[in-house]
Amino acid sequence: MIRKIGLLLCGFILILAATACEVKEPEKAEEPKATETKEGGTLVFGRGGDSVGLDPAYETDGNSFMICDNIYEALVAYQDESTALEPGLAESWEISPDGKTYTFHLRKGVMFHDGTPFNADAVVFSIGRMMKDRKLKFYSQDLQVPPQERPPEYWVSMEMDDTVDSIEAVDDYTVVFKLKRVEAPFLANMGMDFADIISPTAFMNNPKEFLRNPVGTGPFKFVEWIKDDKIVLEKNENYWDKSGGPYLDKVVFRAIPENSVRFLELKAGNIHICQFPNPADIPLAKQDPNLKLVSQPGMNIGYLSFNHTKPLWQNVHMRRAIAYAINRQAIVDNIYQGMGQVAKNPIPPTMWGYNDKIEDFPYDPEKAKSELAEAGYPEAKDLPELTLWSMPVPRPYNPEGLKVGVAMISDLAKVGIRARIVSYDWGTYLKRQREQPEDMDMFQLGWTGDNGDPDNFLAVLFDGLASPAIRTQWKNEEYHRLMTLGKQTIDQEKRAEIYQQALQVFHDEVPAICVAHSTVIWPMRNNVMNFKLHPTASVRMKNVRLE
Amino acid sequence: MTSLSPSKKSPEDRHPFVDQLERLWRNKTAVAGMIVIAIFIFTALLAPLLSPHDPVDTALYDQLKPPIWSAEGRSENLLGTDDLGRDILSRLIYGARVSLLVAVVTVGIGVLVGSLLGAISGYYKGFLDNIIMRFMDILLAFPHILLAIVIMAYMGPGLRNAMIAIGIIYIPRFARIVRASVLEEYEKDYVAAAKAIGAKDWRIIFVAILPNCLAPLIVQTTLGFASAILDAAALGFLGLGAQPPTPEWGAMIAMGRSHILRAWWVMTFPGIAILLAVLGFNLFGDGLRDALDPRLTD
Repeated sequence: MIRKIGLLLCGFILILAATACEVKEPEKAEEPKATETKEGGTLVFGRGGDSVGLDPAYETDGNSFMICDNIYEALVAYQDESTALEPGLAESWEISPDGKTYTFHLRKGVMFHDGTPFNADAVVFSIGRMMKDRKLKFYSQDLQVPPQERPPEYWVSMEMDDTVDSIEAVDDYTVVFKLKRVEAPFLANMGMDFADIISPTAFMNNPKEFLRNPVGTGPFKFVEWIKDDKIVLEKNENYWDKSGGPYLDKVVFRAIPENSVRFLELKAGNIHICQFPNPADIPLAKQDPNLKLVSQPGMNIGYLSFNHTKPLWQNVHMRRAIAYAINRQAIVDNIYQGMGQVAKNPIPPTMWGYNDKIEDFPYDPEKAKSELAEAGYPEAKDLPELTLWSMPVPRPYNPEGLKVGVAMISDLAKVGIRARIVSYDWGTYLKRQREQPEDMDMFQLGWTGDNGDPDNFLAVLFDGLASPAIRTQWKNEEYHRLMTLGKQTIDQEKRAEIYQQALQVFHDEVPAICVAHSTVIWPMRNNVMNFKLHPTASVRMKNVRLE
Repeated sequence: MTSLSPSKKSPEDRHPFVDQLERLWRNKTAVAGMIVIAIFIFTALLAPLLSPHDPVDTALYDQLKPPIWSAEGRSENLLGTDDLGRDILSRLIYGARVSLLVAVVTVGIGVLVGSLLGAISGYYKGFLDNIIMRFMDILLAFPHILLAIVIMAYMGPGLRNAMIAIGIIYIPRFARIVRASVLEEYEKDYVAAAKAIGAKDWRIIFVAILPNCLAPLIVQTTLGFASAILDAAALGFLGLGAQPPTPEWGAMIAMGRSHILRAWWVMTFPGIAILLAVLGFNLFGDGLRDALDPRLTD
């Protein structure tokens, strides 16, 4: 009886919550129902938020890239379930012996969605527009690249201006990239979203509006975008690769911010795939005969790092004390709900360069206490109340940042350290974190790899000497030396050794505590076939079909 | 004036307060409200003695244990545990503390600032009155929770800021009530008398007029407690109020929402707690109004 009343009350509150989220979505009669079964058909994808923009050069967030993944293509492509490279818009390529000249031979007979032929000039235009000093050479037409409206963030943060010297179209189907320095991950970088090839005609027509009217060569064409509601794509009938899809007539990406509402929509059959469900809903999805789960050991890391600009955290014993004090296994078991594994390296175990010899920090409050004493804070006396920044939103590497934060400060309290949670909305959080403010002691963040190269984790996240934009402003000469060496070595085995050394330095110095590699797990309707989760979290609809 | 000595039984001689108390006592719903409030305050004050566990101590491997009366329930956690293994009963008890604090502080801000502004504009009238009351109208024109969110967005999330934000949105309602009463009282003879003997303005306002405006103020304050608890819970639910791991009822509901299908108790009990506390203050406030303002009773 009491249970029933409880359920009734819960139901009431949930209905209130659901209506609160749904107000801006009036009943749409023409909304495609997910129960259609015909070949082709419309697939509705439920995701946590709307895209920011659809010009791949300028975007930085997963929700924008997942649309770009289907509209555009890059010179090289990642395989369906790994970051191994395969030909994309370039059929083949050659690298000069000194590692500084890349020659791409392009695919012939490819058309952009607007009918513009794909050729070398389009490549020079697409990549070249991100350069600061544009040393470009077109072949058949002399395109004027309009000035940048804002900095292309990926290009800038990957220091591509220090890498790429010039881009030249040698003939209609050959492009030559000349580099300023040897950059081992360069080829893999050319498969990332920011390096997607766009239609120069469409861009020149209206450079400011291109991010809302994207035109590429990919398997799906852009149809419409209703802000904060949905983005609709339709099949590209003239797609060059006839060996597989696209099979779907239409793909609709709906933004449903509330995790539990999104999951209920999936159960009701209004969407086909539900991104980022609450871990707690996974068991329910398993029981539902209409649903199935697709999982992928994500190429990601969720970590807890320190404000290295504060003297307190320049003390390695303090950092070790925190590492011993936090029970990460309990966090993975109960907050990740087992959908992940405790991390001992900041790169996932599936990646080359992973250092399996490292002995992880065990959960050991006694050791934490002795490290505290060694740091000069016996019993954590005289230690001010610390702040622990926690993400307000679910991320692929951490389903519930706030809960993880609460569990962490509860663990810290057990060794006498007082701490409190600080959180902001996501945009503010990311922005303020970069400023390394005085009121930030520790922060949670994470990363999903873009291109499968260890450099994309180790340098981008932790080499504070490389750039003030690196989120962990840890400045270690030895680590920086290894990162630079890693970039400039071509041989992968040698690079693997370099990164293993760097990981040892990382473990000894604890610039950050590796919390977990999460398993990305999405529930979907049974009739969705061939959907594969990619380690880079990209969403590819090309080979997906509905039965 | 009249004396309170019990020997005089004549109804005309009794202090009106006794009448009011008697009317209040006869009102069964008001008494029920009073009992709920008493329990609420008692719980809040004695939280460390009453709660069986530390409200912020997590025990991850004991997460989402159901209440004791269900089959898998455990005697350690009478009302079950939440998704981090924290004892819900203890969190509710400490949550009463948070809610009481919020209610007292926010209504305190509203009453102090509101009565001051209301009294000034009611007493001086004219231009000053116009300025103050039009500003109050602007504040009232916003949906109040939205206004609170705007203030929070400016000041940043946190319990202290939430209290300030809710306090600010409560100023106009007290200002209006006090102004109306002051306008009414201003015409009365005792004010004229006070002026005649040369009392200063502030003395007339605070010593002569304000005590006579107390009845509606008390009623509004009691009702204000109810809405303050509700608003604080709403802000907590939106993640703007008390930050985790503070045991705040609204935030507890928000945290439990994702488990609604698996663990109904996580959000139900804080919901019931809010309901009871708000109901208690509302019933008591209504009873007070009936008792203090005989014109409303038939």
